[in-house]
Amino acid sequence: MPSAPLKNIRVLDLSRVFAMPFAGANLADLGAEVIKIDTCQAQFMDTTRTITGPFPDNQPGELWWEQGGTFQNLNRGKRSLTLDLRSDEAKAILKDLVRVSDVVLENFTPRVMARFGLDFKSLRAEKPDLIMVSNTGYGHSGPWSNFGAMASALEPTHGTGAFMGYMEAGPDGRLTEGQVPNKMGNSYSDFLASWTALGALMAALLRRARTGEGQWIDLAMYQTGTSVIGTGLLDFTFNGRRTLRIGNRHPVWSPHGVYPCQGHDQWAAIAVRNQDDWLALCQTMGNPMLAADARFADPIDRRQHQEELDEIIAAWTSVRTSYQVTTLLQEAGVPAGAVLTAKQVLTDPQHLERGYFETVHNPPEVGLRPKGYVGRGWKFSKSEASIKGPAPQLGEANDYVLGEILGIEPARLLALAADWTIGNTPEGGKAPGSVPLDEQVELGSITAYDTNYLAELPQV
Amino acid sequence: MPAGLLSGIRVLDLGSGISGPWCAKILADYGAEVIKVEHPGSGDDARRIGPFAADDPNPEKSLTFLYLNTNKKGITLDPSTPTGRKLLNQLLADADVLVENYPPAQSKELGLDYDTLSAINPQLVVTSITPFGQTGPYRDYQATDIVTYALSGLMYHSGDSDKEPLRNVLDQSFYVAGANAAAATQVALFARLTSGEGQYVDVSASECLGGHLVQPLPYYNYMGAIKGRRPVRGAGFDELMPARDGYVAPSVQGSQPWSTVAGLIGVPEMLDEKFSTGAGRIANGEELKELLIKGLSQWDRMPLFLASGEQRLVFGMAQDAGDLVNCPHLQARDFFVEVNHPVVGSAQYPGMAVRLPGETITDSQPAPLLGQHNSEVYGQQLGYSPENLVALRNNNVI
Repeated sequence: MPSAPLKNIRVLDLSRVFAMPFAGANLADLGAEVIKIDTCQAQFMDTTRTITGPFPDNQPGELWWEQGGTFQNLNRGKRSLTLDLRSDEAKAILKDLVRVSDVVLENFTPRVMARFGLDFKSLRAEKPDLIMVSNTGYGHSGPWSNFGAMASALEPTHGTGAFMGYMEAGPDGRLTEGQVPNKMGNSYSDFLASWTALGALMAALLRRARTGEGQWIDLAMYQTGTSVIGTGLLDFTFNGRRTLRIGNRHPVWSPHGVYPCQGHDQWAAIAVRNQDDWLALCQTMGNPMLAADARFADPIDRRQHQEELDEIIAAWTSVRTSYQVTTLLQEAGVPAGAVLTAKQVLTDPQHLERGYFETVHNPPEVGLRPKGYVGRGWKFSKSEASIKGPAPQLGEANDYVLGEILGIEPARLLALAADWTIGNTPEGGKAPGSVPLDEQVELGSITAYDTNYLAELPQV
Repeated sequence: MPAGLLSGIRVLDLGSGISGPWCAKILADYGAEVIKVEHPGSGDDARRIGPFAADDPNPEKSLTFLYLNTNKKGITLDPSTPTGRKLLNQLLADADVLVENYPPAQSKELGLDYDTLSAINPQLVVTSITPFGQTGPYRDYQATDIVTYALSGLMYHSGDSDKEPLRNVLDQSFYVAGANAAAATQVALFARLTSGEGQYVDVSASECLGGHLVQPLPYYNYMGAIKGRRPVRGAGFDELMPARDGYVAPSVQGSQPWSTVAGLIGVPEMLDEKFSTGAGRIANGEELKELLIKGLSQWDRMPLFLASGEQRLVFGMAQDAGDLVNCPHLQARDFFVEVNHPVVGSAQYPGMAVRLPGETITDSQPAPLLGQHNSEVYGQQLGYSPENLVALRNNNVI
C-alpha cells in the first residue's frame, strides 16, 4: 500500500492569493495536514475566496465564498480554521498551534508579521525546530524589503521584459529586435515562487530529520525571478548585452515560431533545429524544392530570410488544424506543437492518458459540480500523491483544530464564535457582482465562450 | 561554501541542456554533493548553446553551462561502453539520486531506466525530466522549449491579444521543470527516510507548466469561457507603459486609494472623481491612458518605483540585465556570488533563488571543465590507480 510522503507533517498556511497557497495545496496532495488560516472578516479574507472567481456558470451562489474555481484549485485538500489575527487571543491560539506544527507558510509584507508579533523570531521561540517560508515581493532584507508586490508588476521588474517582446520593423522595413518589453503573464512570478518554496521546504525538512534544526526561508519573488535568467545576466557581465527581444525566433535555429492554423486564434509552434529537421519540414509541406532554394540553404540564410519563409510555412499551416500540423510534423521528426487553449488542455489526449486532471467532489451544499482539477507535474513510482479533497469550507475545522488539537473548552469556543473570531460565514461580506460573458468578451478578459461547455469536457 | 541543508546527499547529474542541470544545481546549492557525468569528447549540450563569454563559441565558455553547473564536480564516461558502464555502476552504488533528461527511448537504450538502476542500488532515487513524461501519446515527441510551452497551454496566454502568442523568456519551460524536479526528488528522499527504499520520479515539463493554469482552466470548466492574452485596450494600469528612460508598470492594486496613485503620477486631472473606481477607469479608459502617458513622461523608472514603494503602491519597472546586475537591492541581499573559473576568469554570478538566514554561503565553485574531476573521483573515490586512469583515457572511456 503506497503511503503519502508527508502524512505526518502539519502545515499552517497563513498565505493568500496564488504563490504560497499553491505550494500548500501541493503539500496537501503529498499527504500533509495543511490548515489554512482563514478569517470571517470579509475585508481581510483571501481574495481568491471573495473576488477572483470564476464562479459556476458565472453566477456566485449562496455560498459564494466557497465557490471560486481558482480558490478551489489553490486550496484543495486543506482544512480551514478562522482566526481574527487582530485580537491577542487569536494570536495566542496561533502560537499554541505553531507549537504542534512543523511548517508555517505566509506571504505578508515584513512589517505586518512583525506588527502581529508573528515573525520568524517570535514563532521560533514557540517551536525551536520550526520551518517557515516567508514569501514576499522583495524579501526580508535590503532597501526594498517593505515594498508590496503583485506578480503583474513584479515580472518586468525581475527582468522578464528584457528577454521577451515582439520584433519591430527596422529602418529597412525588415523585422528587427523589439524595443517594447512584454510579459509571460499568468502570474508567472507567483508560480516560480510556489515551485521554489516546495524545493526549499523539502531541503529544510530533510535537514530537520537529520539534525533537528529548523530553517527560515526568505523567499523574495524578485530574487527568485532573477535566478531563472542567469544566462541573460551573465551575457551582460561578460558581453555587455542587456536585452534580447526577438519574438518567437531563436538566436540560432530557423525557422522557429508560431504559425496560424484553422480556426479562431489557433496556432502551432514549429522549431527547426538542424538540417534534418529542415529537410523533413520541406518534405512534409509537400514542397521538397524549398530545400534547394538558396535563400533557405542553411540556418544563417534562413534567419536572414525568415519573413519570406514564415509566409510560405503559414500558407501551409493555415489550412490545417493546429493538431494536424503537430501530428504531421511530429511523424516526420520535426519539433512541433499546438498552442493549446485551456479548453484544449482539458481535453488533450496526453493529459487524459496520464490522468493529469483529478476529479474532486464538493459537498452538495457548496453548489459545485464534480470537476477535473490540475494535478502535479511529477509522478512517483511508490509514494502516493493525489488531490485529497475539495478546498475547505470556511472554518470547517474550527472544532477539530481548537477542540481536538488544542483542547479548548466548549464554553470558550462559544465566546470565540460570539465575537466572529471563529465562524462559517463572512462577516460583512456580499457576493461579488457578475459581469456577463458577452461583456467580458467585449472587454477582452475572455476571447469566447461555449454555452454547452459541459458536453465538450470529458466525463468526470 | 554552499548551504548545508542537503549535506551528505550524493547526486549524479546525467542531465544535459537546462532542465536536468538546473534541478541538480538547486540540489547542489542546498548542499548536496553533485557529480556531473558528461559524455567524453562532446559533453553537456549546453556547452554548445550560446551566448558564450566574449562571444567565443568554446565549450568551456557557454554562459548557460557556466551558470547551471556551479558547485558540481565534473567527470566523463560513456555509459554505452562496458568499462564506462562499470564506472557508472560503481558510482551508483554510493549515490542517493540520479537525475537525467534523455528522451524516454534513449534513457532505456542507455540502461538508465529505473529497473536497471534500482537493481544496482535499491535506495536510489531516479528522477527523469522530459517534455511530456514517460507515458502517453506524446512521450516520444520531439520537443524544444517553444513546443513544450505551446502544448502546456501556457503560451496561449503570453503576449498581446491582437498578435500571435509570444514565447517565454530564455527557455523558461525547462527552468520550471527543473525546479519542480528538485522539489519532487527531495520528496522521494523524504519518503525514503521511512520506507528505506528509493523510487522513480517521472517529471513532465508540460505538466509542470500546466499547473500555472489555475485561472484559465476553471474559467473553462466552471463557465465555458476561454481566457486569452492580455487585451490592448484599457487605461494602461498593470501594463508596461513608457516612462522617460524605459518602461514602467503602474498599478492600482493594493490597499491605497486612487488619490494616492493619481497624486504620485502627478497629473492633477487624474484626481477627477470619475477615475476613482475600477468601473470609472474602464469607462474612461482612453482619456485616462492619455493622462497617464503624460504623467509618466515626467518620470524616470527608478524614482517612480521607489516613490511608489514608499507610498505602499505596487508599481513595477522593466529592468534589463544591466539594471539587475547593478541592482542595489539584490546586492544588499548578497544575491550575487563571486565565481572564479579557470577559462573565463572571475565574475559575479546570480546566486540562490532563496535567502536562507543563518546559513553561511560564502562563494561558489565554478562549473567543471570537461572531465576536470576524473582523477579525483575515479582515483580517490573509486580507487583507480594512476596507470588505470591512463588506460581509461587512452581507450576513450573517460
